[in-house]
Amino acid sequence: MTGLVYKEWKQNRWFILSMIPCGFAPLLALLLLREQITSADNIALRIGGLIAGFLAAGALQLLVLRGDDHKLWGYWITATADGYKGFLRVKYEMIFGMIVLFLFSLQFVDMGYCAVAADMKSKDIGSISSIALLLGFTQILFRAIDIPFTYRFGSKKGSIIKLICMVTLAIILGAVLIFSTEHIDHIIDTAKDLFRENSSLILSVGLVLCLALYYLSYRITCRLYLKGVEQYDS
Amino acid sequence: MTAKKENAKRLGIFLLIVSLFVLLYFVFIKPMNESNTVFFIIYYCLFSFSPAIASLITRAVTKEGFRDMKLHLNLSGNLKWYLLAFGLPLIFFSVRILLPVIISGHSSWLRGFTFQKVLATVFMLASLTAVQSIGLLGEELGWRGYMNQKMEPLFGTFVTCLIGGIVWSLWHLPMDMAGWLDGECTLSYSLMMCGGRLLLLTCFGTFLMWLTKKTDSVFPAVVAHFMFNQSQGAWGELLAQGNIPENADLGMISSVFEYATMILLVVVFIGLLLREKKKSPKTA
Repeated sequence: MTGLVYKEWKQNRWFILSMIPCGFAPLLALLLLREQITSADNIALRIGGLIAGFLAAGALQLLVLRGDDHKLWGYWITATADGYKGFLRVKYEMIFGMIVLFLFSLQFVDMGYCAVAADMKSKDIGSISSIALLLGFTQILFRAIDIPFTYRFGSKKGSIIKLICMVTLAIILGAVLIFSTEHIDHIIDTAKDLFRENSSLILSVGLVLCLALYYLSYRITCRLYLKGVEQYDS
Repeated sequence: MTAKKENAKRLGIFLLIVSLFVLLYFVFIKPMNESNTVFFIIYYCLFSFSPAIASLITRAVTKEGFRDMKLHLNLSGNLKWYLLAFGLPLIFFSVRILLPVIISGHSSWLRGFTFQKVLATVFMLASLTAVQSIGLLGEELGWRGYMNQKMEPLFGTFVTCLIGGIVWSLWHLPMDMAGWLDGECTLSYSLMMCGGRLLLLTCFGTFLMWLTKKTDSVFPAVVAHFMFNQSQGAWGELLAQGNIPENADLGMISSVFEYATMILLVVVFIGLLLREKKKSPKTA
């Protein structure tokens, strides 16, 4: 396993370390758009920067999946002592680690910004850490979807198939919404009531569900990997 | 130089660096109170990572290298210990805080502890542990990942737990004394807080040491440390939702549970540590 960790580090260390500068995105947004700053906490600008950082970090996390979709590599790693399961586990752990590093950097920078801004304006500045946390879990969920597609179909084909699946899902959802316009208000009201009464439980279950789905994604990828290897390089 | 002397030298350098950070905190205590920025730099950027920084500097200075930092997750076969690291602090504080309230007949104080709220709290703690506990690597890499490893061959397991716990709690000294230095509380109150922390951390340290040795990784200790910090706050938050009178005092029963849980923790994990030491093959 140490060998696999070493391989991933040598191959992807810049992508891993790039998670740290991604955490500076809210600060960068403030610097770039400093003329539009109106209040001390600049919450809207910082959230904008946070989303930009989230997208950049997501793209970089996907880049670590490239380069492994070759038949020869697939056969070779399957024949090693750790096997393809060990390889996939290290990959999943690494991507999870990248998300954690991004989140840590983001929250740390935000804490520093709040401290400096509070000193300058002599009042407490709102933190965006809780929004960052939610985005972090969204990122875990997205990666849980991305990785199986990449290893089953290869990185290029996988992203196209994923896009097709997403569009199809969006169309189906849209159709369901259109055909149930009579009930839509009732559904929204019920959902609102449910969330108002159990918001903390729903939120915490949702977060744990993201983690569970990430693990499930690993198990699914393990099942699909060898099928995917047969299709690589073709 | 013999291995023991080499270990003692490394441990000495490590402790010297850590104490310099403690000194730094004391020096900057006043500016830290006046400025959020200074507090952020001294506390969050330097002090909270000081054990890890000290271990890395010591490794570099003594040319020890950076092997055996126990940074592998070692998940396979150790998942149950990770779960224990998550669950035990929660159970520990439940017994310490909630049981005396129930036994003394004040269950009405626990109005905040509905099934739904407790479940939400546990799930929230579980998800936060997965993504936010990493910050505590700044401590665990130094204490369990370095200091204990150097201490054990010198002093043996039992004394390592004792001295390790004392060093760990002395590192918190600036935080405990800050109130007195600011004039917000009396010296006796600050010293009482120091004593309480010393006892608690020494006891809890045995569990963290056992976890690290059992899994050969610092990450379970990171999880347990995070849960140790968070579960107190989480239970406290739920307690605050009940209608507890301001001058509430459970008296003797509260102290009994406070000390009994700590003693139980120490006895169990010292016992396990010693048993495993007996089992392990002796090296020359």
